[in-house]
Formats: sequence, structure tokens, C-alpha cells
Amino acid sequence: MYPQLLSLKDWFASDGRHFQIISQTLFLMYGFYFLGWDADWLNIIAAFAGTLIITWLAIKRGMVGRHSLKSALITSLGLSLLLKANSPWLFLLAAVLAIGQKVLIRPGNKHLWNPANFGIVAVVILSGSAWISPGQWGSGALLIFIIGSLGLAVLSKIKRLETGFTFLIVLSSLEAARSIFYMGWGADVWLHKMSSGSLWLFALFMITDPMTSPNSRPMRILWATGIAIVSFVLANFYFINAAPFWVLFFATPLNFIIDRLYKSMPFKWFEDNPISISSQIQITQDK
Amino acid sequence: MKNVKIGWFFAIVLSVSVMSATAFCGFYVAKADATLFNNRSEVILVRDGLRTVITMSNDFQGNMRDFAMVVPVPVVLKESDIKVVSRRVFNVLDEYSSPRLVEYYDENPCMRYMSDQMLYNSESSEMTRSKMVFSTEEDAGFGVTIEAKYSIGEYDILILSAKESGGLKDWLLINGYKIPATAGEVLQPYIKSNMKFFVVKVNLDKMQTGYEYLSPIQISFEHEKFMLPIRLGMANSQGEQDMIVYAFTKQGRIECTNYRTVKMPTDKNIPLFVRNQFGDFYKDLFQRTYKYEGRNAVFLEYAWNVSPQNTGMKCDPCVGPPPIFNDFVEAGVDWALTGSTANNVFFTRLHVRYGRDKFPADLTFQETPNNENYQCRYVLTHPAYGPFDCEDAQSYLESLKERRKKEIDELYALTGKGDMKSGAYLIEFDKHLKKPVKSEKGEEERNDFVPWAPIDNRISPWKILPAVGLFLFIFGIMRYASVRPRTAV
Repeated sequence: MYPQLLSLKDWFASDGRHFQIISQTLFLMYGFYFLGWDADWLNIIAAFAGTLIITWLAIKRGMVGRHSLKSALITSLGLSLLLKANSPWLFLLAAVLAIGQKVLIRPGNKHLWNPANFGIVAVVILSGSAWISPGQWGSGALLIFIIGSLGLAVLSKIKRLETGFTFLIVLSSLEAARSIFYMGWGADVWLHKMSSGSLWLFALFMITDPMTSPNSRPMRILWATGIAIVSFVLANFYFINAAPFWVLFFATPLNFIIDRLYKSMPFKWFEDNPISISSQIQITQDK
Repeated sequence: MKNVKIGWFFAIVLSVSVMSATAFCGFYVAKADATLFNNRSEVILVRDGLRTVITMSNDFQGNMRDFAMVVPVPVVLKESDIKVVSRRVFNVLDEYSSPRLVEYYDENPCMRYMSDQMLYNSESSEMTRSKMVFSTEEDAGFGVTIEAKYSIGEYDILILSAKESGGLKDWLLINGYKIPATAGEVLQPYIKSNMKFFVVKVNLDKMQTGYEYLSPIQISFEHEKFMLPIRLGMANSQGEQDMIVYAFTKQGRIECTNYRTVKMPTDKNIPLFVRNQFGDFYKDLFQRTYKYEGRNAVFLEYAWNVSPQNTGMKCDPCVGPPPIFNDFVEAGVDWALTGSTANNVFFTRLHVRYGRDKFPADLTFQETPNNENYQCRYVLTHPAYGPFDCEDAQSYLESLKERRKKEIDELYALTGKGDMKSGAYLIEFDKHLKKPVKSEKGEEERNDFVPWAPIDNRISPWKILPAVGLFLFIFGIMRYASVRPRTAV
């Protein structure tokens, strides 16, 4: 399928990752220009260089298809959005580790870890000079609305709506039960907690990665519920910051087992859809 | 530094302790009917692994016998965990880390001339007065347990645990603590999360004569929780309160995990006339930045490695001496003195202005490995004062006028306020100009009394360029990656 043969709109709609890439780029700009993050472009360049170069090498060796460059973009954006580090080298390291594990460890043609999640956790643990800032997004209602609607567009495209929503619903119910009904805080404390931008980004863009979530829908719901429960416990009783990121790191390898126990159609980023191929041939013939 | 190109200069320091702040994170419990406000507080927060040391200084204004304070703590504190420290350490930290004004001097373009002048002008924080009273009652069926009872310094201290907020509230009321009506609902969540209550009163008999203010109280404990309970303090204070947090950690800056931590604008060139009103300038700047950030951010005012082993600069310029051994001991930074960790003492100053509506939850923090230095610094540049009898003088005067325009715009952008002195400031050197300054962009029509529209220096066209570049790059990769090999057809 040659993108130049499709209209821009059809091309854009042909792959759910396009939405995700554009949304994540917008969030990054929002962070830099409106939330006053330290805009260190060297870090961003390092993240992009690392993921793209490793992916390109993998393409040359025939390990992955050319479309993997899109996933590489998502990974670079994910790192740029979530990781903080004292040096651009750490971004490069995170990027290389993220894509490295993705192209090298591929049981069942999926991966064990979400690349950005793996890169972040690995660099935070290994270097001691990198960290996650769960508070960096604040809890602006508008932001949540924007993340929500963009996330929705992405999820409906890649059909993983239930994963993100299960996570959010389970976590917010547990938080409500504890904050409001047990502890007696007002609803605003709960709302403040649940409107964290980092949490929404995680729920709509990271946990929903089809390559690192179970293939079967009931299993995905169960899996997301498990992540929400463990995150809740770690955050509230063990006071671990950015708990969902850590939980996901340990939860994604479970899919390897889950997918073997519950067989289901594996996910593909795009369908080799006969209609689009015939229309494409037609266009070619019209020429 | 934007203005460096004009000749030699040297820096002079002028310090204004802008926030002469004081106090804590619990709430005052008045025995008298006087409405008490606690609008400012200062806290020293030391975090080392799971160990937290919190030193609270208060600016209680009223009769000492009416003073009482309730702070939720995660564990029952032992007597050795509670100390009374000197107020001096707060003054040292405040003066050392407060926003600063730097002055530079232009060299006369016609003459090698230097001037220097040292101004040191620091207002020390306000002190407060005190006296006391205390009564010791036991649990009388309120579900309140007195876990411990200490007398430390001029304070009588109780550590309470409670089963439910109604009982605790009643117990406090019966024992003569007049607590705000709204306090009950905030006590409940702390009881449910198994926190204890650190209750303090002043023992007047122990007050040393001549003491005009209450000593700061220091508590230390080991717990995963790294937070400051601000909600209780909102129970008897209306509107917004300011809190300055001086934090010491081993690794790097602390940041808030449930609110944004934002840097204050820094390294801005502002007009000379701000010199005598720097305190007001910073207040306006803070208020404007606070509003701009949606009233719910935590602001970074200072970050530096202050280790005694770090022989490098500890500020640039320094407005007060950096903390030394005694100050570290006083603040509870016990690793600063000995061992291999002594060269890692990182200091962070945060400024929070919080109100009930935008800060529903207590502040939680994390230590990050970010050890980048930061300070709030505003720059004044003194012009050369003639004689302007050489050729270079004309171009100097022109650039001076351009610079002053920018300074006035900057002042407006930072504080949102114009200043009546702007007009005179701009034309001060016009009399030496042989021909009027021609301005780009037709700026001569500007009204200098009501300065130009605010420049939002966070979003300017050239800063957007990298974003545009990134978008194009990403779009290109997306298109390229969409091309599938011919065999797919």
C-alpha cells in the first residue's frame, strides 16, 4: 500500500498509530510550551535517534517491517513525555534498551514489555540519575478532556477501549471507596487524584498497547483489573510513586503465559484488506 | 546575560528577604475567641531514605496561653524524636535562598571608569511573642489515647491516637483546645489512615524570660510517607496561605508528586527603579506567576548543592551566607558532617501558595536525582553617566534606550503592572542624543506610560520553531514507514 496512492485522510485513518503519534506530539508540545517543563531538545533528539536507529538496523536485518518505524516514534514520544534524566545519554540508553528488547525478545511475534515502559523502568533502576515526575501534568480538567478524547480516538481505532477503561474504572472505584467512603475525604480529594495527567496518559496510551496486552478480550479485562488493583495497593499502602508504571513492567511478561492459555487472534496493526488492495489497483490502472 | 556586550561590568548584590515568613502545617487551636490567621509558614524538611525530619516555625500572633498546635504524624514519636531548635536557622536559610537582585554597571564608552558600591540590605523575618498553659487529662471514653506525654523546651507535648474524629474533637474541646468547627471532617481521614496527632501547647512556666517568640519545633520519624499535611491548616484559615519549604536531601531536588512543581521566572533584566521596591516586585511577580499557573502549582525558588565539602560556589551571587555546620545540625541534616555522604547535601526551596479550592489534597513529595542548580535572580544594569563626548557614546546611548525599552516590557510581562516611572526612565538619556533613536517596528509611537502589551516570553515565535521541525520530521517518518513492499499488492 503506497501512502501516495491514498488520500491523506484515508492514509491517516489506515493505522491507529498515526492518531497516537500526533496526540503524543501534541502533549509534548503542551508540556513544553504551557506547563513550563525544562525543554531540553537534546533529550528529545537522543530519544528519537536511539529508537529510530535501532529500528532501522532491525529493518535492514529483516527482523521487523518498515512500519515499525511508527512504533519507534511512539516509543520516543513516550520516553520524552514520561522520563526525566540528568543527561541526554540516559535518554539514548533508554531508547536503545527499549527497542533492543523489543526486536530481540519476540515470543509469539509479540513483545514481553511495552518498549517505552521498559526503557523508563530500566534507566530509572540502572542509572540512578533518571526519574518519573508523576506531578508534572498537574490535574487541569481541560487537559484531562483533551487526553481523554484523543486517547479515545486512538483506542477506538486499535480496538483496545476496554483495557484502558477497565483500568480507569477499577482504579477510580477503589480510590473512591478508600478516599471518600472509608477515610472521609471530600470528593475533591478523589477527583484531584484521579485527574492526574500522568495517570490518563498511562491508561490511554501505555496499558493499551496491543502488542503487550493479552489477545483475548476477557483476559485483557482481567489483566487490566489486576494492574489497577496492584497499583492501588502499592500507591496507598506502600507509598510508591508512579505505581502503575512499575506494575505494568511486571505485568506485561505475563501475557506470554496468558496468550498460551487463552488462544485468540493476535493483533495486527493493519489489515491486509482486499478492498483497499483492489481500490489501489484500480487507482493504478486509472493512471 | 543579554547586556554583557556593553563594556565591562561587575556585579553587586542586593538582597531583599521578600517573604518574611513563618510557621507550619497543622492548625492553630485558639482558646480565645480571637480569629486567628496563620497565613504564612516555614518548614524545614529533611529526607534521608525513610527518615524525615520536619522543623516547623510559627508566626503565632496572640496571647501565648492561647497557642496550641495539632499536626498529624505517621508514627508515635519518642521523646528523642522531638526537639526545640533556634529560630536562627530559618533566618539563615531564608536569607541564603531568597530571590535576589543583581546589579551590573556599564562601563563608560568614552572612559575606562569603574564604580562600585556594595549594598546589603536584608530584612530579617518577623518574630513573634508567646506565653502558655497546659492541662493534662486522660482519655475519658472519647476513644482518644494519650500515647505519650513530653515536656520539651517551652512546650508541653502530647501524642494522641484516636478512633474517630468526633471523639477526638470532643476531647480537644473538653481539654480546652478551641478547635475550628470545620476541623472534625479533616481529622477523620488522618485517623483512618492510622496517623497520630502531635499536640503542642506552651508551658508558660518554662518560657524563658526575654523570649519574645516561640521556638520552632522539630520532629523526626521513619516512614515511607513523604508529605506535608496542609489540609488541617486550612481549617482555621480563610483564603490563601503561603508556605516556604526548605528541603535537604542527599541526591537532588525534591518535587511535588501530586501538584506541578514549576520554576519561577529567573535571570530577567528589569528597570533600575525596581531596586527600591524589590520586595513589592517579587510579590507581584509571584502572584502573577501563581495565577498564570492556575493557582495550583508549587514553585521552585532555589536549588543548590550546599554540602560543606562542596567548596565551589553556593549561589551566584550570594545574598546571605550559605548554611554551615551549626545550621545543618540544627536543621537535622545529620549526614552533612561526617562520612562519605557529607558531600551530598542538596538544598531545595519551594514556595507554595495554597487555598482550599485548588489544593484539596496534602502535598506529597519525592526526591529526584536532579541536582541542577537554580536560583531566582533579577538583573539591574546601571548605565554609564557621561561624559558622552566621543563617537562611541551615541551608539551606546541608542543601545541603552533599546535595552531600557526591553526592561520595561519585561517588568510588565513579569508583574502585570506598569510603573509611572517608566516614561522618565526611558528618556533619561535622550538629552545626550544628537539625533532621535530610530526604532525598528515603528515603536516610537508606543505609549511609554502604559507599556506595550505584555510579552509572554514563554511562547514566542522562534521558540515554536523546534516544535514545527519535530512535527515535520515525525510526519515524514510516518509517511515513509507507511510504504509497504511491492509484494504486498
